[in-house]
Amino acid sequence: MKKTIDIPLGSQHISLLEPVRFKFECENEKIIGVDSDVGFVHRGIEHACTTKFKFDGIGYVVARICGLCAITHSLTYTAGIEKLLGGEITQKAKYLRILLLELDRIHSHMLCLSHTCENAGFEAMFMRIMGDREIIMEIQELLTGNRVQFDFISIGGVNRDLDASRAKEIIIKLEIVKQKVLGYIDVFTNNWSLSLKFQGVGALSLDEAYRFNAIGPLARASGLNIDVRNEIDYLPFFELGFVMQTHTDGDINARNLVRLNEILNSLEMCNNTLEGLPEGDIFTKLKGKPKGEVLVRLEAPRGELMYYIKGGGKSMLERVRIKTPTFSSIPAFSHIFVGENYADAPAILASFDPCLACTAK
Amino acid sequence: MFNLKKYRKRSPWILHYNAGSCNGCDIEILASLSPKYDLERFGIINTGNPKQSDIFLVTGPVTYRSRERLIELYIQMPEPKVVVAVGSCSCTGGVFRGMYNVEDGVDRYIPVDVYISGCATSPELIIDGLVKGLEILEKKTKSMEKPSKLFKDTTSREGIVSRRESALRVGEERDEEN
Repeated sequence: MKKTIDIPLGSQHISLLEPVRFKFECENEKIIGVDSDVGFVHRGIEHACTTKFKFDGIGYVVARICGLCAITHSLTYTAGIEKLLGGEITQKAKYLRILLLELDRIHSHMLCLSHTCENAGFEAMFMRIMGDREIIMEIQELLTGNRVQFDFISIGGVNRDLDASRAKEIIIKLEIVKQKVLGYIDVFTNNWSLSLKFQGVGALSLDEAYRFNAIGPLARASGLNIDVRNEIDYLPFFELGFVMQTHTDGDINARNLVRLNEILNSLEMCNNTLEGLPEGDIFTKLKGKPKGEVLVRLEAPRGELMYYIKGGGKSMLERVRIKTPTFSSIPAFSHIFVGENYADAPAILASFDPCLACTAK
Repeated sequence: MFNLKKYRKRSPWILHYNAGSCNGCDIEILASLSPKYDLERFGIINTGNPKQSDIFLVTGPVTYRSRERLIELYIQMPEPKVVVAVGSCSCTGGVFRGMYNVEDGVDRYIPVDVYISGCATSPELIIDGLVKGLEILEKKTKSMEKPSKLFKDTTSREGIVSRRESALRVGEERDEEN
């Protein structure tokens, strides 16, 4: 007789923002096997990029892969096309791009933290973080004119300038957010229902993180210092005070703390960007059609995002291949679930911050 | 006495399903439940259970694999129910229209009562659409009690029945007794 019970989670579930199905094979309380199905939101964007849209419009199409890391997708694609066209963009455009990239990272991490709180049953903290996240959304609206899908980055620069009065307003709002985040760190380290309960739950060791190819905050919480911002040079991250945040425990609590520290670092980077914003144009016109192959990487809120672009000198591209962060982390996800209690599964899932819209494309 | 009709209007529960959206509209729905916009002042709670919900919020252009789940969730919801299509891509397919795995909009599979536009839509529009949805919910509650013909004349053009004309768009008023 079979001694295990199969419990499905998804595809529609209150703790899930988007459809993913997990089938947990449980023996009493313990999970002993996981089967995941991530393809519910597959739309076929890669194929449409080579058949339906011209290369100068794809930057806005790939932003629709994921609403949470829209800016990273369009920025990575645009950086690739700019490499193929061989142009140089102005320093001000680079600074504005980094500003929006880091704002996006802040609001994505805050959403993940609030979700972790909700799944821990701490509804008040969920509401508090969601309320404070609106300040970041307001800043994004001030900067780009839209709250979620920005359409801010175009090939050759950015679409909207930032004047001094709005920059001043943004700095004031960032200071408010910073005080709130310092308050969260206190709650996340000292509160029973958030930190102490989560210590040792869903742990991933350094060796396993290395072996399972974990990336992003998941790997950094295990002590693996991997961050694309550390390795690329076409955007001036170090100039703006980027410091890698790592932790050694590898459990849910460590992931939360890594995210909180990254928010603080990103807030500092935003401040430095706004204070040192250079004068000049925001747009340089690049001519020609993309010809050749290019591989671009950038750090999305969840880890490394990789684009491979191949153009044949025409306005239609030959191939666009997108490797998204959550897809790379699925082996690590599946490994963490094994041996945990079933009751912890939603909390562990929220701590991964999975993005299935990215994964399925 | 316990009056279900009255309380249904005061506290409609919503069910949210992502049928292939980019998460943009989903996080805006979450934002509209958060303290700044606070949908809960209308008694609206996000529930994960289709059997307890009154309003069905659908985002996304309906992918090939999510359409069965979409219809299953719609069937499990009790009458009266209101379907709200959130975002451009759930109304028409949006930027995904014509991609090989996409079905171009929610209203090809289930009848939609309120369309909310925008890519991504804003929390103000979501609240506006949901309040419109509440009016429709009240109307549907009333019309459930009336005796009616089983076969009603639908608007058809060249043999294709269109539900889009009988649906209400945000910002427009519905004619009396469509």
